Amino acid sequence: MGNKLSRIALNDEGFIFDPETGNSYTVNRTGLFILRLLKEGKSEKEIVKSLTETFNVDEREAERDLIDFVEQLRLYGLLEGKNV
Amino acid sequence: MYKVAVSGINAVDNPGPGVGIAKGLKESSLNVSVYGLAYDAMEPGIYMKWLFEKSFVMPYPSAGEEPFIDRLLYIKSNYGLDAVIPALDAELPLFIKSSSLLESYGVKTFLPTEEQFKLRGKDHLPEIAERIEVKVPETRIVTSYEELSKAVEELGFPVMIKGIFYKAYKAFNISQATSYFNSIVAEWGYPVIVQQVVTGEEMNVVGVGDGEGGHFGLVGIKKLWITSLGKIWTGVTVRNEELLSATERFVSEFKWRGAFEFECIVNNKDIYLIEVNPRFPAWVYFATGVGVNLPDRLLKAALGLEPERDWDYPAGRLYVRFTDDFVTDMSEFQRVVTRGEN
Repeated sequence: MGNKLSRIALNDEGFIFDPETGNSYTVNRTGLFILRLLKEGKSEKEIVKSLTETFNVDEREAERDLIDFVEQLRLYGLLEGKNV
Repeated sequence: MYKVAVSGINAVDNPGPGVGIAKGLKESSLNVSVYGLAYDAMEPGIYMKWLFEKSFVMPYPSAGEEPFIDRLLYIKSNYGLDAVIPALDAELPLFIKSSSLLESYGVKTFLPTEEQFKLRGKDHLPEIAERIEVKVPETRIVTSYEELSKAVEELGFPVMIKGIFYKAYKAFNISQATSYFNSIVAEWGYPVIVQQVVTGEEMNVVGVGDGEGGHFGLVGIKKLWITSLGKIWTGVTVRNEELLSATERFVSEFKWRGAFEFECIVNNKDIYLIEVNPRFPAWVYFATGVGVNLPDRLLKAALGLEPERDWDYPAGRLYVRFTDDFVTDMSEFQRVVTRGEN
């Protein structure tokens, strides 16, 4: 996992604070769910599985949404390296 | 009881650092009484009696060394004065030059050297950046329209047009560039700095160097919200290791002595140096508020006491400025005008 992700602060309401840049973000319930799994070091496959088990989505949709979300995290510099 | 004079007590829309310094001194472990040094009877700090026990109107530094020092010695002999923390660029050269003289009268300071003070000019940035291995936006120093148009041609729009010490504008075309160039020349004279625009997070570090390569604490922040004059109104502490280690390299390479503000743009691992100020910034109370009381530490260094050096502040502490007001008596103002002190 990118070191960066382990350093960001994440609260139960989906508020993210990046202590290196001072930037803050909010994510919805699904985003928070994915971020927590990423922080735990789960693989793409494991996260997709958790998504289909928890939310009413099929595997393809979950995978597509995960890739989208991960790209967003990269764009904001919250994710480094290629963990998923 | 230590008696300490602080300048820059103009807590206005472009605030001086004095009020923030005084707030830090009030939280000192030492017993400190703070005096305000003002240049105008309207400076709000004069009337903030909960911070400044007394205030004095000073002659302008441009009027020369003698009247200025005489005024400080007047304060010393009538009310006692152990140290001065000057906070304005315009008075620093005089204080630096007169520091031994003041010391001989028992008035202590803890200031950068003359050479260090000169580094605040933006024309010195490439030299600093090279020595501490950070980047600097590509820079041209211009003194004519011809050089200006050559510089913008080389750098490409948008560009920053800056005075050597003050003012910075972003120009998107040659007519804007020319107009900002004119306005800087009219207000501050030549030369004018033309600089590449770099993207990233604007971050600042406040600190106090010990003069031997070490420091009495650093605090890194990011401005979240600024006024139309570019002054911080809301901010957050950050812990950016690249930024903090660049600042430590700066302190050790130049053996910085006294207060400073280190302004950068941070883009991932790249640190671009924007400006170095040889004094506390107006938001210095932020450091005190996160447990690194830099005004207190600087005072201790000036007094020859050993200041604390811990600076393990947390990231994510929020700084909030606000406007406030109070009512006092006209006689307060009257005394400042007629006696030059209150």
